[in-house]
Amino acid sequence: MTISNYDDMSRFELDVLKEIGSIGTGNAATALSQMLNRKIEMGLPEVKIMDYNKAISELGGPETVVAGVLVHLSGEVNGIMLYLQRLDFINIVLESLVGKKINDFMYLDEMGISALIEAGNIIISSYVNAISTLTGITINLSVPGISVNMLGGIMNVPMAEYGYETDKLMTIGGTFICDGKEVYSNLILLPDIKSLNYLMKKLGVKSE
Amino acid sequence: MKICRAPGVLVTYALGSCIGVCLYDPVLHLAGLLHIMLPNMYQNHKDNIFKYADTGVVEMIRKMEAFGAVRSRFVCKIAGGAKMFEMGGGGNNSVGNIGARNIDSVKAVLLHERIKIAREDVGGNYSRTVSFDASTGEVTIKSYGRKELKL
Repeated sequence: MTISNYDDMSRFELDVLKEIGSIGTGNAATALSQMLNRKIEMGLPEVKIMDYNKAISELGGPETVVAGVLVHLSGEVNGIMLYLQRLDFINIVLESLVGKKINDFMYLDEMGISALIEAGNIIISSYVNAISTLTGITINLSVPGISVNMLGGIMNVPMAEYGYETDKLMTIGGTFICDGKEVYSNLILLPDIKSLNYLMKKLGVKSE
Repeated sequence: MKICRAPGVLVTYALGSCIGVCLYDPVLHLAGLLHIMLPNMYQNHKDNIFKYADTGVVEMIRKMEAFGAVRSRFVCKIAGGAKMFEMGGGGNNSVGNIGARNIDSVKAVLLHERIKIAREDVGGNYSRTVSFDASTGEVTIKSYGRKELKL
């Protein structure tokens, strides 16, 4: 059976995606720890598929300000990946890279923004790498874009992009533990339906 | 899509590339707020007509007229249609252009329905929270790190 909607995915197929999420988070934690030169542990990632509106309220409501890094996937798999960073995560990155902390997104300067793009880019690339290594698929990444704004507006972008196909999105929530402090960040993965089927086929997942 | 009478206030949170279309009948103090996400509905998607500019605007006008509103009295204000991400590197730039396409589509539909846009706050790269006061017809736009704007 081919998947025609995100809802159609079987538990087994979801487990496969979770596994990719785990590997990706593992890679990301390693990469991040090298970049920041700090010890970073990871918690078990949660893969969820939910409605657009539910996702927004789960991530803190439409008016929460976050920094989102967006990358477009192309090649054999097409889609969008969006990495959402909240203030606590951002401060860990900034502290290590730029040597200062901020209390509000207002105080982000150009150096700070650039550091956030880099952190987001590394994390997204780690996930894509995990998918690519597991399946042997070539995936090209676009140059990352960043937006520091209200969550609702940022989430509009992936939803509008695939609004004709689905009202659902896939979130991979991961915890990083840094110096005993737990920070939570979210990755939104939205392959188009065709790519999702292709991915499942390549991974050898057969559902009846 | 929501419709209300004075003294109600309609709110839609954090419009990014989406557009909020506010229609107001000043005589009845009747306000309608539509939140569209995409420019056009295609044949095979008959799910939610309020998600699309072309079908949503037409249906909102119909509903408001059913409540007694008169088309020639409509005051229309629109907000949203931002481009949230500036993607570098050229190439695939379809991401983020949705906002501009939404603006075009909303304007085309309103023109076709012969409704003039009184005020607008569209484009830019930030999200907007729109509150629409049914007793005055005033639209307030709040965005992160910017001054409140009244339309």
